[in-house]
Amino acid sequence: MTERHRLRSVLTLAYMNGVVPMRTQPLYLLSILASPLSFLFFVTVASGGTLFLYGIAGGMLLTVLSVGTSLQTDMSHYRTDLKFQDVIVASPVEAPVYVVGIAFSELVYSLPGIAVFILLGAFEAPVTVLAALEIFGVLLTVWVLATCLGFTLATFFADVRETFVFSSLVSLGLTVLPPVYYPITAIPASVRWLAYLSPTTYAAFLMQSAFGLTHLSLGSALIDWTVLLLSSLALLAIAGLKARWRDP
Amino acid sequence: MSNAIEAHGVSKTYTHSGGKTEALAGVDLNIPAGRVYGMIGRNGAGKTTFVRIGATQLALTSGSMTVLGHDVMTETSKVRLRIAAVPQESRPLYFLNVDELVYLYLKIRGAEAHDARQRTDAVLAELGLTSVRKSLVSHLSGGMRRRAMVAMVLASDADVLFLDEPTTGLDPIARREVWTAIRRAIHDGRTVLLTTHYLDEAEALSSRLALLEGGKVRLEGSPTEIRDRVRQPFRLVVSGVLGRAELETFGTVSAVEGGFLVFAKEAPARELAQLALSKGARVSLGPVTLEDIFLQVVGKAIDADDTPLETAA
Repeated sequence: MTERHRLRSVLTLAYMNGVVPMRTQPLYLLSILASPLSFLFFVTVASGGTLFLYGIAGGMLLTVLSVGTSLQTDMSHYRTDLKFQDVIVASPVEAPVYVVGIAFSELVYSLPGIAVFILLGAFEAPVTVLAALEIFGVLLTVWVLATCLGFTLATFFADVRETFVFSSLVSLGLTVLPPVYYPITAIPASVRWLAYLSPTTYAAFLMQSAFGLTHLSLGSALIDWTVLLLSSLALLAIAGLKARWRDP
Repeated sequence: MSNAIEAHGVSKTYTHSGGKTEALAGVDLNIPAGRVYGMIGRNGAGKTTFVRIGATQLALTSGSMTVLGHDVMTETSKVRLRIAAVPQESRPLYFLNVDELVYLYLKIRGAEAHDARQRTDAVLAELGLTSVRKSLVSHLSGGMRRRAMVAMVLASDADVLFLDEPTTGLDPIARREVWTAIRRAIHDGRTVLLTTHYLDEAEALSSRLALLEGGKVRLEGSPTEIRDRVRQPFRLVVSGVLGRAELETFGTVSAVEGGFLVFAKEAPARELAQLALSKGARVSLGPVTLEDIFLQVVGKAIDADDTPLETAA
């Protein structure tokens, strides 16, 4: 395949698995927003409105993280139930093209949700161009992280129902327990160390800083970026090792 | 004639928690280019394993297989440029309509938009799917979905098509529409490796056949060659008057609903037919069917009895 063919394959996969389902069933759009908006509503009400911006930053992260959950489910479903992956294997399409195409499709799928949170953020707390770039960078890195995690987990399951169990646990570990929707100071000091085990904690620090909710020193920001990037690279390496385009 | 697929001593052993299962045991096959090659056998005989190895979806344990001269294990990307497959029990993505299913598949394979459009329109017309092209596949019957899957690969530019039970679940008319499309693919110079449980389909479409049993090739050849190897090549169904003992003087007898099935050589078969008619019995005479051979060969593998249709492979 030439680079042009690869690009066409990626874009077609992204359109097929990202745009077409939304057109076929617009209610999907609401389902994407359901969890992030529910959390936003909950933290806003529970905090008397003081955590509204934390909720917006968290909503963006959760929406992008849901890409990983969706990818995990789709990959498992297409491989084990529909045998779609086998159809693609027996074609000129290479494994990375398929994975990137499906990953982009999940990103496309989550864009309307991200747009809602961007609008809310822009209306409530406009940020500088530099901060906007930082938010974009964090979300892009989290997308890579979520994609690699979803892909890696998808390789473990022989039945798509098993993925639902892990999806819930992963969501819990990446979005609820870490301080994605609230400041880390809200977590009791004795168990706060647990939050530092999750890479999304560092993403949340950077997001909250970009929104002006907290102040990060240059050193702290560098550490957060380093942990986030290394986590993503580690998961990328694991995903690469787990990738299997032909059954053994 | 050159071979599209060549298998030499192909073996496949699955390792699982319960131990090991040998799915293929040293299979040698030469599948000629530009023809339909049928592969028949019971569930678990090794058909799908063979197809999946050829379609580069599964690694073989030992031996070698080439597709269009390229080794499936070491020259995989060259093989994949020229193949397409409908896996067993595969289903189309439920949120696509029929047109999108075919068109987007071609685009994913790298086809230009106008080429993909022309191919999609042509295959949908050929397989009688034009009227449902805008229908979501989730709204179609199981047979129509299967037909849509076949349309996908037939529309592709692949030179070798692996069709693993492509007509399962189709009604007789839909099956014949798929047959027509497969025949057209052959006229275009393509090779089709077809597995099926429908023996009439295998016979109607295939220039050569392989019968797999227990991971081995038990019979191989054209349908005519396979029949020619049968020791008692005629089958008679006799109802009424004649008893089993009398029938056994003509050939090998087994009870069937409403009478007896007799396998016999040509002269005894004619003699028995005349006798039955003269005594007022109902009788039908014809050559053994592929199904007769299949049942006897597979039956022999099951119970190890000698059979009247014993063949020289």
